[in-house]
Amino acid sequence: MIPVSYNVRNLTVRKTTSIAAGLGLALVVFIVAAVGMLNNGIKKALGKTSDPDIAIVLRKGSDVELSSSIEEPNVGLVMATPGVSRGEDGRPLGVGEVLVVVLLDKVGTDGFSNVQVRGVPDNVLAFRKDAKIIEGRAAKPGTDEVIIGKGIRGRFKGVELGQSFELRKNRSVNVVGVFEDGGTSYESEVWGDRNVVSSAFGREGLVSSVRVRLDSPSKFDAFKASIEGNRQLNLEAFKDSEYYEKQSNGLSIFITSLGTVIAFFFGVGAIIGAMITMLAAVSNRQREIGTLRALGFSKFSIVTSFLFESVLLALAGGILGALASLALSIVKISMLNFTAWSEIVIAFEPDAKSIGSALFVACVMGILGGLFPAIRAARMNPIQAMRA
Amino acid sequence: MNVASIGMRNIWRNKTRTILTVLGGAVAVLAFVLLRTVIWAWNVGAEYAAKDRLGTRHKVSFILPMPKRYVETVRQVPGVTQATWANWFGAKDPRHPNEFFATLAVDPESFLQVYNEAKVSPADQERWMQDRKGAIVGDVLARKLGVKVGDKVTLQGTIYPGDWEFNVDGIYEATAKSIDRSQLFFHWAYLNETLPERRKDMVGWITSRVNNPEQSANVSAAIDKIFDEKDVQTTTMSEHAMNNSFMAMFSAILKALDIVSIIILLIMMLILGNTIAMGVRERTREYGVLRALGFSRGHVRSFVLGEALTVGILAGAVGLGLSYPIVQLGMGRWLEENMGAWFPYFRLNAGTAALAVGVSILLGAVSAIIPALQASKLSVVDALRRVG
Repeated sequence: MIPVSYNVRNLTVRKTTSIAAGLGLALVVFIVAAVGMLNNGIKKALGKTSDPDIAIVLRKGSDVELSSSIEEPNVGLVMATPGVSRGEDGRPLGVGEVLVVVLLDKVGTDGFSNVQVRGVPDNVLAFRKDAKIIEGRAAKPGTDEVIIGKGIRGRFKGVELGQSFELRKNRSVNVVGVFEDGGTSYESEVWGDRNVVSSAFGREGLVSSVRVRLDSPSKFDAFKASIEGNRQLNLEAFKDSEYYEKQSNGLSIFITSLGTVIAFFFGVGAIIGAMITMLAAVSNRQREIGTLRALGFSKFSIVTSFLFESVLLALAGGILGALASLALSIVKISMLNFTAWSEIVIAFEPDAKSIGSALFVACVMGILGGLFPAIRAARMNPIQAMRA
Repeated sequence: MNVASIGMRNIWRNKTRTILTVLGGAVAVLAFVLLRTVIWAWNVGAEYAAKDRLGTRHKVSFILPMPKRYVETVRQVPGVTQATWANWFGAKDPRHPNEFFATLAVDPESFLQVYNEAKVSPADQERWMQDRKGAIVGDVLARKLGVKVGDKVTLQGTIYPGDWEFNVDGIYEATAKSIDRSQLFFHWAYLNETLPERRKDMVGWITSRVNNPEQSANVSAAIDKIFDEKDVQTTTMSEHAMNNSFMAMFSAILKALDIVSIIILLIMMLILGNTIAMGVRERTREYGVLRALGFSRGHVRSFVLGEALTVGILAGAVGLGLSYPIVQLGMGRWLEENMGAWFPYFRLNAGTAALAVGVSILLGAVSAIIPALQASKLSVVDALRRVG
């Protein structure tokens, strides 16, 4: 076995070319990790983290909250269904909400974009355990006060603490608080009083969806059966987490396929870069390789040694790229949510899987880039190599 | 033999390395061209929008309808030649649940006048006008759903619940890229008569044609001014402006692609620079001999520069040659047919091609700067003494 320190010293002695090849690899790892982190952010924003015991009820046939409508008397029926958990005051844990979309002017550009406005009942903060007011205060029920998610804060005209914007002409609402909700897409929404929102949109007596907390996730099947069994209701029940996962799929597939194509091209470029570096290393060290062979090191140990060197180079670059990608976690980008045609704000969320897979890609690139030069080194005739 | 051609000859000294470098550079150029084409195609989608068509929608939210009598008002506005209206009818074909397409309820007669780039044969048109439950389907969608004239399709409404049966009375083709060929249009009257009283006679948006595209901003303002004092206010803009604002919602992705396309150039520069630097290092002694023979520092610099430029140009040419069939025949055709709403026109444009070639020449030159300076700076004695 050729000592490891031999490879380390070889890499450091040829600084410029090692750095050039390593930087190329680092860029690839950076991209792979960034795509992974962005995907993670999308999943988080679009609710993979929703509690498993939450169920959502929509009108049958409407895939999304925006196109669903449920008559208010039916909200009570849904909440009275067996399996729905009850709070300490004996009230069922559930919310019937109205979801609408308004067009608002963006701050900083002359464009505009759609923003989701959710009309919520007074127990919404009790129902969504992770939602917390981080600045200002909760809105008073029955008034034109609203709270805004921290994701859209300051991105649209009037969407800022202490300011106001119009739901429709002469129907302005005042922002009294900012809330956070664990990075989910709720943070890109405005929450106002249900009756105020529904009357501004001419939807009195209708809600878009009903969410309930079940006694346990295992109660879902029975709950679904009893909701859908009542044909008169014409409703459908989903697990909240599955509903959101379905919504995030389009965006997630789009980002992943774009990222994969880009990473593929980058990868090919970086493999070639590593190969050039390793080939040069082999031809420069012909004499050394000949000597090693003459000393009795087998062809196999030469191949392993060069492969190891190349993987080492790739990993060094990879770690650099991965570290750089962590800096992205302070970056937030706004993107269109395909299902609601409104903007959501997504952060790059680092996790072990995205960093790990990026480093794995680095190893594969090191092996692919080093294999051919390593074989070439091993096949040298020791006598001729020493003479060179 | 001139000085630069000596540099060019040097590239054949290490064939494997040169081939690898050209290949690596070519992959980078290919990726660059693909990314730039995506960005270009995305923006050009808006350019293909009809400039003489205006869209009027509810000011607050696209989910809110407007009274149908507004259409008549719009028709009276000076500069407007014709107006039509439509409702978004969300639907999916249960046999193809993953196929997303737009289904619109339209007024057939005025629709075909305003959207005159949708071509339907006179016989089909006649049949559609007479058939209350009739629909026309874009040729691309017809192929995807496997329907032909005379078939019946049953769609599941997502906004208007239930099963809706339509007769396929005709297939439309497009004479311009400004209309998506995967849509389904049916009689608005058929939808309207099924609605309850309070939702009757409401339209999703109004599309009008103006006689002078230059005046479209003024006509838009005039339309909005009329409705400003009514109970429902409107936002009117040209189709061109609407597409632009829609595309702007993806600006984060476009910006990311922009950055990535620059990073790929950095990788290419690293590969090129690495190769050139290695060659220079190996030939230090030769350069010493040349200098001793009386060649100036400038000569040595041009040797290195000539070598780098040749490799850069080769890489650019090969990369462009590879990207042509991929963009033009493979990816372009697929995107135009399957994502026509997003990429109505996905082709390699001359600007991108020229940019790619220019960039590879530039990168060749830039990557040669450091090695060229190093080679020319060496004193003759040092260079001759150097053990390569």
